[in-house]
Amino acid sequence: METTTQQVLSLLLVFATIVLVFAARILQARAGSRRKLRSIPAFERIPNWGSQAIEADSPLHLAFGSASIGEDNTTTALANAELFQRIIANNSAGDSPPTLSTSAPTTIPLASATVAAAWTGADGARNLHWYPQGKRALGYAAGISAVIGEDAPAAHILAGSFGMELGLILDSAGCNRQGSLAVSDQLEGQAVAFAMADEALIGEELFIAPAYVADASRLPAAAIVMDIWRALLMILVAAALVMGIAGQLPWLSWQLLALVALVALVLGVILWTLRRRRAEA
Amino acid sequence: MKGWRTVGASIAAITGFLVGFTALLSLLLGDNPALFGDDPQAEALAQNLALPGAALLRLLVIMLALSIVIGIANLLLLHARRMAGGRLMSGILLASFAAAIGWRILLPGEVSLLEAIQLPIESALAALLCLTLVAGGARILTKRSDIWGLLLVLVVVVVLLGSLPFPELAPIAAFSDWLMRIPAQAGARAILLGIALGSVVVGARALLGQDRSLRG
Repeated sequence: METTTQQVLSLLLVFATIVLVFAARILQARAGSRRKLRSIPAFERIPNWGSQAIEADSPLHLAFGSASIGEDNTTTALANAELFQRIIANNSAGDSPPTLSTSAPTTIPLASATVAAAWTGADGARNLHWYPQGKRALGYAAGISAVIGEDAPAAHILAGSFGMELGLILDSAGCNRQGSLAVSDQLEGQAVAFAMADEALIGEELFIAPAYVADASRLPAAAIVMDIWRALLMILVAAALVMGIAGQLPWLSWQLLALVALVALVLGVILWTLRRRRAEA
Repeated sequence: MKGWRTVGASIAAITGFLVGFTALLSLLLGDNPALFGDDPQAEALAQNLALPGAALLRLLVIMLALSIVIGIANLLLLHARRMAGGRLMSGILLASFAAAIGWRILLPGEVSLLEAIQLPIESALAALLCLTLVAGGARILTKRSDIWGLLLVLVVVVVLLGSLPFPELAPIAAFSDWLMRIPAQAGARAILLGIALGSVVVGARALLGQDRSLRG
């Protein structure tokens, strides 16, 4: 693709996202048009872990991994900070401030500000751990395993950028019978999270996680925009697939494709209406 | 107090918006003279457009260096406090820190403590990680006793069998190769596309000042 076309398309994507975020926010704010989020079981465990932490006077461990400001996973760090801020605010009735950990130095001020904004007790940032390693940090995993032994957190919410080292942390948590929720923006970490964590989120669920943890009117807008982009992407991929197949099947015509698309659309609308009526009933 | 916090949050949001948009436009559109068509000054204009982005990136590098100093201060203070509370591991960490610095100053030409101790320890941890992952994989059916857990275990068994050097297992090796090339790649791309979409949405929210972590 030509550089100029690439630049224009990138700008269009960014501006379209901004417009969608604004539009979804306005629509969401209107009475009667609030959209319910689909259920994700992993999020239902977080309040239980919070209650356990408060009752047992033990902290929750919130880990950023190697998500850092200024690198390719800056948005992961920002999404994490928002999620952690809401979790901390929901559990600030306890006496033990949360244990936060990161292996990226630029995330330290972000983590510190997150605790300061959400923790209502004194000295909230006293358990902020930095283990100086880069990506796939085995040293970070070893350090966290020591923290797991010493601080005995009620549960671990490992949402950020992790590689294979996540296996060591989750194994340590499992041995100490501590709950764990994990998600990573790296594929290796995501695979380990799915296999070893008590609860796992997948991919983009990390970015809409704050919407599930707190009932804020603005956050579901991000989830709506994600859904819109995802649907558009699926349509594009399906269209590309059909066009690829069409090149090999002589009987496939544009008229037939339009008819199939129309039938699919009508069926979709009928199903959606039935589902909505059943939900209302 | 609340009023001042609101003012501070507004200033942070406006600064974030201005800096973010400047960096975005500069990095996306900079250094491409084709954008300015036949203008004789196209080269110079493109370079000027790229300047703010480059300046902000240089500023970022300085901040990264500064953040390491903050990190070291945080590490020392946190573990000094924990050591005072009777935590042995924190004492060992501080002693190791002092020893590594002292070693570097007193024996500048020698192999550093990092190379002599930490690298072998990390290699040992990597070996341990292999066993941990196998044990974790074996335990998956107790944690996820559903169709997806079973499917994961089946795929792991097929891939492991396919990697064995026996000619009798050639069909399994071919199936394993297909699994890794088509379904695994498709799944990986789907996850990466989801993460990319999420990044764009979070970036847009950050630019609009809707992100709580920027507003404080």
